Amino acid sequence: MKPVYNLDSLTNLHLVKEAIQWHKQGRISREQLDQIRQAYPSSFYHPNFFIRILLFAATCIALSGLVGLLALFFAQADRMTVSALCIIYGVISWVVVEKVFAEKNKHYKSGVNEALLYHSVGFIVGGVAGLTGADIYAVLISLVIVLSFAAFRFIDLVSTLVALCSIAAFIFYSFYRLGGGFQQVIPLVMIVCFSGVYFVIRKARASENKTWDNCLVIAEAFCLLVVYASGNYLVVRELSVALLNLNITGGQDIPLAWLFYFLTVAVPGAYLYFGIKKKDIVLIRVSLVAIAFAVFTFKYYFSLGHHEITLTVAGMCLIGIAAWLFHFLKTQKNGYTAENVLSESWGNVNLAAYVISQTMGGNKEPEQPTQTGGTFGGGGSTEGF
Amino acid sequence: MKPETLQELRTQNLITPEQFQKIDTVQTKKIFSVFYELRIILYLGIVLFSTGIGWLIYKNIGQLGHYASLGLLIITTFGCFYYSFKKGPPYSRGSVKSPTVYFDYVVLLGCLLFVSVLGYAQFLFHFLDESIQEVTLLTAVIFFATAYRFDHVGVLSLAVTAFAAFWGIRISPQQWSSSEIFSQPNLKIAAIVLGFIVSIVALILDRRKIKPHFTVTYINFCCLIFFTGCLDGVFDSSTSGLYILLTGMGCAGAVYFAFLNKSFLFLLYAFIFGYIVATYLLVKLGINEPVLWFLYLMSSCAGFVWFIIRFKNFFKRN
Repeated sequence: MKPVYNLDSLTNLHLVKEAIQWHKQGRISREQLDQIRQAYPSSFYHPNFFIRILLFAATCIALSGLVGLLALFFAQADRMTVSALCIIYGVISWVVVEKVFAEKNKHYKSGVNEALLYHSVGFIVGGVAGLTGADIYAVLISLVIVLSFAAFRFIDLVSTLVALCSIAAFIFYSFYRLGGGFQQVIPLVMIVCFSGVYFVIRKARASENKTWDNCLVIAEAFCLLVVYASGNYLVVRELSVALLNLNITGGQDIPLAWLFYFLTVAVPGAYLYFGIKKKDIVLIRVSLVAIAFAVFTFKYYFSLGHHEITLTVAGMCLIGIAAWLFHFLKTQKNGYTAENVLSESWGNVNLAAYVISQTMGGNKEPEQPTQTGGTFGGGGSTEGF
Repeated sequence: MKPETLQELRTQNLITPEQFQKIDTVQTKKIFSVFYELRIILYLGIVLFSTGIGWLIYKNIGQLGHYASLGLLIITTFGCFYYSFKKGPPYSRGSVKSPTVYFDYVVLLGCLLFVSVLGYAQFLFHFLDESIQEVTLLTAVIFFATAYRFDHVGVLSLAVTAFAAFWGIRISPQQWSSSEIFSQPNLKIAAIVLGFIVSIVALILDRRKIKPHFTVTYINFCCLIFFTGCLDGVFDSSTSGLYILLTGMGCAGAVYFAFLNKSFLFLLYAFIFGYIVATYLLVKLGINEPVLWFLYLMSSCAGFVWFIIRFKNFFKRN
């Protein structure tokens, strides 16, 4: 299957984007960047991030107006007719976004594209749901099909992610419905399935074609997270209690508890090991999340109740590890470096500043009933007071 | 990017052999950077540590002794600032590269601990009960000074929030969504004036080329404060006409700045707040026909999309 976009333009666009990063890093000069731009032209309309959000929001509002008008016309029709019309309308808007926006006007991820595409997917799947009386299988299967198609044609990250979620939900639900012993093996089935998917995706990424690379990175990370979550003791236990009506009293534990304890610890370790060994950034990042969650899992069940000590010690450990690694990697070790060799587009200073001002509690006030207007720019430590 | 593409750039002589060498080592993962990962770990460490230490002191106040813990906090704060002054590069009007990767975080930790010292001292001695406002202002001033001295955008945003807090305005998404951004009802005027004045100051500093990379942070906060004040006025006051006018002017300002600085976040603000007020005006006019409303939504936004695409060259960053 081919994407709707012109492949040459696509390659050129990504090359120029990368060259912009090189320029920001001071690796190539302004003139060189301009020369690369000229040598690799792309005719896409691909605005910057905020314009995309703006266009997305505006298109959504405009579409809601259009849908409202149409709804007024067909307000009296019965459910089947409306569902069929939804599917037709969804297909028409798909054709519009493909032919008019992507092909004719060369929109590439312009915000308008996404809005139209998601709204089209929504109507098709909603129509299917209406026709089948909201049958969960029909909805999940149609979601997977339509979204995979969207992900292929439009190289769309959100579609990729939601399609994978639907697949996971489909597997989970199928086994859940079978009941009994089948419910017990859901975690293992998820681990096996998504490990398989992960290796297929890795292989696909290693191949020549880089067109869908970003989608595949997202898919890889998702698979790794699902594999970890399916083996995590906390997830398995809480979901068993919530969904399988498992009663755990006193000395009891979930079936195969030892296995899940083992997986909770071993999987993040394995991710980190292979990530470092293969220099795979996706594995390393996912492993960091998984390690944090593993620590949380054990704290959740075996906490001694001294959270303040845990926090302080954990904080000190993290600061220590980071400081040591920064020091250790000052000179390259096995190709690893702590230097920022190529900036990534999301490594945005202003975003970082915003996160700091929000998470550091720069606007929390100490709980002082006497106080009227003013606040401290309170640090995290004022929370206890 | 395919490996051949870089080779292609080289053969077309678009990059020099040395540049090819350097970029190629990164592309082929001969050099592999964990810069962002380490920064995130460090950042998390500081958040956990500063939260934990505060909690620890609070719980163990009896055993530790107030003065000992306060002393410890002061010493750590002092240590952070000492390090910053010792290692920090001299002041410059432009943007400064930090001497080490964790320098920025030491500065940040120093500032956060400073606030802890104040909070703890207040808890102990209650000496600030009368002058809580002045202390907030003092915090803001110290943060501003730190931000400018060590070129730290994070501390700058702490400074701006503290400064706004001095006027009674709290900026955070939680308060924003629960519309508790103003602790007193008449604060909308303060918000509007503050937003206006600070943005003017920021633009003057920008003109004078004093830390021009701070301007976006300033204007971002100003926009949020200003527009929230305006909307507050539009919705629940008898003189909403004035506030509608102010919102319009604010939108014009935001659009102007968006183009001036090529930062289109401000265009987004102008659109959102402008659209809310325009729609509110129509509600006030008392149109009850749904068809007209749907047509309004459709035509206004479709028109807006068309406008942006039609004049796309104005919205280019480079």
